[in-house]
Amino acid sequence: MRSKPNKKEMPNGSSKKLKGNQWMWYIFLLPTLLGILCFMVYPILESLRLSLFHTSGGGETWAGFDNYKTVLTSGEFWNSVYNTFYIGLFQMIITIPLGFIFASMINSVTIAKNFFKVIFFLPNVTAIVAAAMIFTFVLHPDMGLLNYFLGKLGLPQPLWLADPSTAKWAIILLGVWHWIGFVIIICLANLQAISPELYEASTIDGASSFQQWLFITIPNMVGTFAFLLITGWIGALQRFNDVYVIGGPTGSPNRSIQTVVAYIYEHGFTGFQFGLASAATYVLFVIILIFTVFNLKITNMKL
Amino acid sequence: MFKSKKGKALVWGFVSLLVMLSFLTGCGSTSTSNKKDGKWAGQTITVQMIGSFKLQDSTDPISGQKIKGLQALKDEFEKEHPGATVNIVTMPWDGYIQKTKTMVTGNQADVYQMPGLDSGYAREGDLEPLQKYIDKDHFDLSKYVDNTVEGWETVGPDGKKQIYGLPVFGDTRFILYDKKIFKDYGVKDLPEHPTMDDIMNAAKQMTGKDPVTGQQTYGVYFNGQTPEFLITDIAEGLGGSWGSGLNYKDMKFDFNSPQYQKALNWLISLEPFAPKGITSNQGSEKWLTKNNNIAIMLDQGPGSLITKINAQGLQDRIGIVQQFKNDKGVGGLFAGSPFVMAKSSKHKDLAWEWIKFSSSDFFQKYLWEQYNNIPVIKSAYTDWQSIKDEKQFMDPILQALSTPWTPHYPWVNAEPRNDLSSGVQGALTGKMTAKQALDKIEQQSNDWLKQQNQ
Repeated sequence: MRSKPNKKEMPNGSSKKLKGNQWMWYIFLLPTLLGILCFMVYPILESLRLSLFHTSGGGETWAGFDNYKTVLTSGEFWNSVYNTFYIGLFQMIITIPLGFIFASMINSVTIAKNFFKVIFFLPNVTAIVAAAMIFTFVLHPDMGLLNYFLGKLGLPQPLWLADPSTAKWAIILLGVWHWIGFVIIICLANLQAISPELYEASTIDGASSFQQWLFITIPNMVGTFAFLLITGWIGALQRFNDVYVIGGPTGSPNRSIQTVVAYIYEHGFTGFQFGLASAATYVLFVIILIFTVFNLKITNMKL
Repeated sequence: MFKSKKGKALVWGFVSLLVMLSFLTGCGSTSTSNKKDGKWAGQTITVQMIGSFKLQDSTDPISGQKIKGLQALKDEFEKEHPGATVNIVTMPWDGYIQKTKTMVTGNQADVYQMPGLDSGYAREGDLEPLQKYIDKDHFDLSKYVDNTVEGWETVGPDGKKQIYGLPVFGDTRFILYDKKIFKDYGVKDLPEHPTMDDIMNAAKQMTGKDPVTGQQTYGVYFNGQTPEFLITDIAEGLGGSWGSGLNYKDMKFDFNSPQYQKALNWLISLEPFAPKGITSNQGSEKWLTKNNNIAIMLDQGPGSLITKINAQGLQDRIGIVQQFKNDKGVGGLFAGSPFVMAKSSKHKDLAWEWIKFSSSDFFQKYLWEQYNNIPVIKSAYTDWQSIKDEKQFMDPILQALSTPWTPHYPWVNAEPRNDLSSGVQGALTGKMTAKQALDKIEQQSNDWLKQQNQ
């Protein structure tokens, strides 16, 4: 096996050349670094600055922490926080266990395994904007596919998107449908990485399939669940595209599906309250930060 | 690696190219062919236009007819103004508020089509007042349809109301109804100015099984996802108003007035005669088709109305009447689009020429015949055969266009609009009473106003 050459062993000329070549790679990285500076670092700092001003894009007046005060005392903002957590929580409660069960089933079948993987993963590769538009038809109170089947089963046919009490569940359904393929694929990858020797040993010890699943599979999946939980929450807290397509910036009806990002969009881009929207963005950043640290702690996951 | 001089030069060249490309990407190129001859030699203006406009010829997806692109307008203007160059930037309606704001902030155009004129552009000093140009040219404003110039007046940095934009095309609201469903149920057609009772009674009678076809029909439909202009119109019909003032310092909201409360309660009692799903704008999918199941459609705009009606052959079936007006005959949304001139424009005289050009028969006829945009010049309604051919719809549209609430609602592109819409939805979905909803809207609007005055 080749080891890294010791600097002292190298002739002086070679060392200088290496140094020169190392700089060369930084030059290759320059366009990307410039891009990060221009399109990430600058907007983040500019947004922080804007959050301290009253501005609609033209003139600016110093606001201090007024915008933060307005955001934190706004009923609409906390309503959007509630909606975001409600939709995110139930989406995760449904999708992660369901995805894991489906992944376990797919992992145990011997034929058509790839077929099932593709079928379940398809929604995840569908653009969420297109999926949201299709779901407005699926969830149509009179002509929708979902209510048609509910009617056939003799179950109540909700108004879904037209009623604030069911609209959040309509969004959760869309989220579950779209995200479950990803959960299945991640779970499958981990399931296939569990050592078969563990199962062989437990079979010799007389463990049933259910016991193996409960005492071998699930404990070995904890890391995956933690990963899904953390990435799922980050995604859920940043949710925007589908709720915007379905409910507009205000999350119709009656702000029932307005998420925090939609609240930011509403104030920034339909009301031109850029300072307020920037303050809300930083509040969201803090919420995500605290919640992610909390998630890392409870899942015992290391970054 | 890269030991030779040639190799290093190649790498440096490649790196430089990458850096240059990264800077150049996103910097759109604009055609600035500086013409050297003519009165306007070397002057170039950029005009932004919003809608389904295309620069090149295309095909209408509904009627299948060929539509000429805006290139024809550019060519005509440049022909009439030797030496001048016009660059037209088009954008779809989707996201136009954000895109316009971005363009104005970046001084990207000389002339803007600006339906959101009251979003503070003039107040913040981004726009050029037009009165001095009007005076200099003795430009005759009476050529425009009544109310359409005054409707676009707004306040500048000095807080005084004046002309910052001149209309390009109109937009209005009216009530449409399906004469076939009325006939099937034996209900009399709506009068030219229906009352709230007329609508309620007719809606009640026509919700159920159609006696002729046996199909389920609904008495009425309104878009409950965006009900803010409808409720405002009903309140105006009852003698109320949204409030007063164009300048933030003088502005007062009156969203919880008795008229608004009566209007919202009326909408709530009308809702059972509409299809389920109005608050998510669902249930009207069959409207303007031969299988229509809705008798009365409130708060309709012209849009591509005539194209759709003609494409479906519904000319004899669809009736059009006025929205609710107050005792002075005024009421309803004032909308459409004006052209405004950017303060930052380097060629203001040429920009003004374009604004004037937009009121010409050529320009107006072009937008009407190619894109069904409602003309804003009186001569269109007296002289053009293409308007006379659609007299049945265009006469009531002209009437609606001449009698809306003016000036433009100053909250049309701001938070109070969203609050009004969400609050009405709250009442329509039974989450709060009409009074609770309107008190909340009033409070939110006043909070917004307080923030604007900080």
